Amino acid sequence: MIDIAFDRVSKRYRIRQSQHAGMKDFWAVREVSFEVGRGETFGLIGHNGAGKSTLLKLLSRITSPTQGEIRLNGKIAALIEVGSGFHPELSGRDNIYLSGSILGMKRREIAAKFDKIVDFSGVSEFIDTPVKWYSSGMYVRLGFAIAAHLDADILLVDEVLAVGDAQFQVQCQERLAELRRNGTTMLFISHDLVSIEKLCDRVGLMQRGQLIASGAPHEVIEDYERVTATSHVAAMADVSPPTPEAAPAAEIETITFHGVEGGEILGTRTGAPLIARVHYNVTAPVTDAIVEVFYYSRDGSVLHCQHSTALAGGQLTLVPGRGAIEFSSPEIGLQPGTYSIGATIRQHNSPATIDWHYGRTLLYVEPGKSVRGYFFTPHDWRVVEKHAHAGERPHA
Amino acid sequence: MAVRAEAVTIIRPAGSAWSNFAVHLRELADYGDLLRTLSVHRISVRYRQTVLGVVWAVLQPLLMMAIFVGVFSYLARMPSEGSPYALFAYTALLPWTFFSTAVTNATGSLVNHTQLITKVYFPREILPVTYVIASLFDFLLGLVALIGLMMWFNVPVTAASWHLVPVVALLTAWILAVALLSSAAQVRWRDIGVAMPLLVQIVMFASPVIYPLGLVPAAWRPWYLLNPIAGIINSFRDILLRGVQPEPLPLLYAAIVTACTLPVAYAIFKRAEATMADVV
Repeated sequence: MIDIAFDRVSKRYRIRQSQHAGMKDFWAVREVSFEVGRGETFGLIGHNGAGKSTLLKLLSRITSPTQGEIRLNGKIAALIEVGSGFHPELSGRDNIYLSGSILGMKRREIAAKFDKIVDFSGVSEFIDTPVKWYSSGMYVRLGFAIAAHLDADILLVDEVLAVGDAQFQVQCQERLAELRRNGTTMLFISHDLVSIEKLCDRVGLMQRGQLIASGAPHEVIEDYERVTATSHVAAMADVSPPTPEAAPAAEIETITFHGVEGGEILGTRTGAPLIARVHYNVTAPVTDAIVEVFYYSRDGSVLHCQHSTALAGGQLTLVPGRGAIEFSSPEIGLQPGTYSIGATIRQHNSPATIDWHYGRTLLYVEPGKSVRGYFFTPHDWRVVEKHAHAGERPHA
Repeated sequence: MAVRAEAVTIIRPAGSAWSNFAVHLRELADYGDLLRTLSVHRISVRYRQTVLGVVWAVLQPLLMMAIFVGVFSYLARMPSEGSPYALFAYTALLPWTFFSTAVTNATGSLVNHTQLITKVYFPREILPVTYVIASLFDFLLGLVALIGLMMWFNVPVTAASWHLVPVVALLTAWILAVALLSSAAQVRWRDIGVAMPLLVQIVMFASPVIYPLGLVPAAWRPWYLLNPIAGIINSFRDILLRGVQPEPLPLLYAAIVTACTLPVAYAIFKRAEATMADVV
């Protein structure tokens, strides 16, 4: 049973580039076709402006397609922009009814689910207070609670997991998992590739309005990361991506992390020592080689730091056979979070990358040293004795 | 696995389904609860934080009436077909106020809810329609005040009053047609909102609000009556002040113009709805 079917759907916007220029056509979505089966969770990934949100707007009927046809089987609801339709003067109670009916619920349905919604939101104490007095957290929680209780066969989810505190996020994820178990068909849009991989049965990759790949989450996400990482590496190292036709002289197999005792670890703490190993297989000697490791944000878009044999100094020649390069940092500077790991092998003064790897390696960094700012930089300190002037006291 | 009603929705480019009334109306019926909730909300929010509250609904036409009596009755000696001028003016001001507040508020209804329109789908006509319903509520309150006025002036409320029901329905239908057109137009051309107060004033002078219909030269009538408000106001006076069945010709004009305009207005609105979120 197919619940969502896109048949060559396109959406054109007419945009005016300047005061004097005429209208110009912009195709936000071009000839997109895909199907989502009943009970399936389909994820959509892609860069900003790739057309994901437009696709969602077409599905939720906020705007009409220019060409093509979308066929939906069942009642659809969108879990987007929580708190849409809240009126500040009205109480939480009235807003549940107002927002619920805007989202397409019947009064009867809302009344039946009222207690569940209030429980979920955790604002029961203030349910008769006008929402203008709510904190932004309460506002968002109430909004999500309403949306999460929509009785839909097909649910569209757009980046909502990023709301509220950690506990509420867990609650949201559980609710989505519950809906999924109940057989709700879902279309998921997120930049959080880890969530996408965890939640989705299938993933589609959008690029410049077109669906360029779809399939198993693991494969599509890897495709996406390849594109993202390649452009990052290329921009940073001023090299071009490897040409797939040529058999690489060296290949990266995996990246592993180790503690100081040598045992493999999955995570570390801010300020703790870290050893990263890049395992490779060399088939032809590579002189003047550079091996690098990159730490990206979970969506692969932000580079946090880099290990490089070129930066650390010294010359490297890779000889045929399997081996590993080990980078060790006495103190890792990353803030708590989850990082995606990439690695490259290239040659000094050569524009082409020999191999790069953007696998599923993740590094979890837990809070260790409590650090303010974007990163921790390892440092020492000492007391510097000065000749005491009048009015200047030595540091204690 | 949840039991589900098998409802297939097909989303196509707007042009291919622009006159699909049955589908649109069925969907509107599906959103009946939203229409109700939002209308109640409009009425309750409207007079919130005002000292006089809902009294304003009656006060507006009453104050206008007082001014009209001063200016047009005492100063200008306007004929009023044998009724007290105050009553004569109020019976016209009541439907005209309904028309002017509903249309003025509805015109901005879509633009003022940009946030909703770009985030959630629901039949967009609900927004202008809720303003029409809120004004209808005010109108009904004003009607109660009218009965009080009639008693004050010793004008009997006759059995002919029942004729008011279809006339009010017709008035509401005409207001809906104008509200649908003006709100959809406002999304694309904000000039509409700026021009609306002026247009509403023009409608007032082009309708027998201040003067009786009898003052309009017979040769102008066919054109004059193309404005449904004219025929409707005339019917109000026939029914309430004279206690007779309304004169058929002006009412027929109003009914025909409305019957032609409303479906077209709805079709145009639904056509515009398809890209409303893109241009608003």
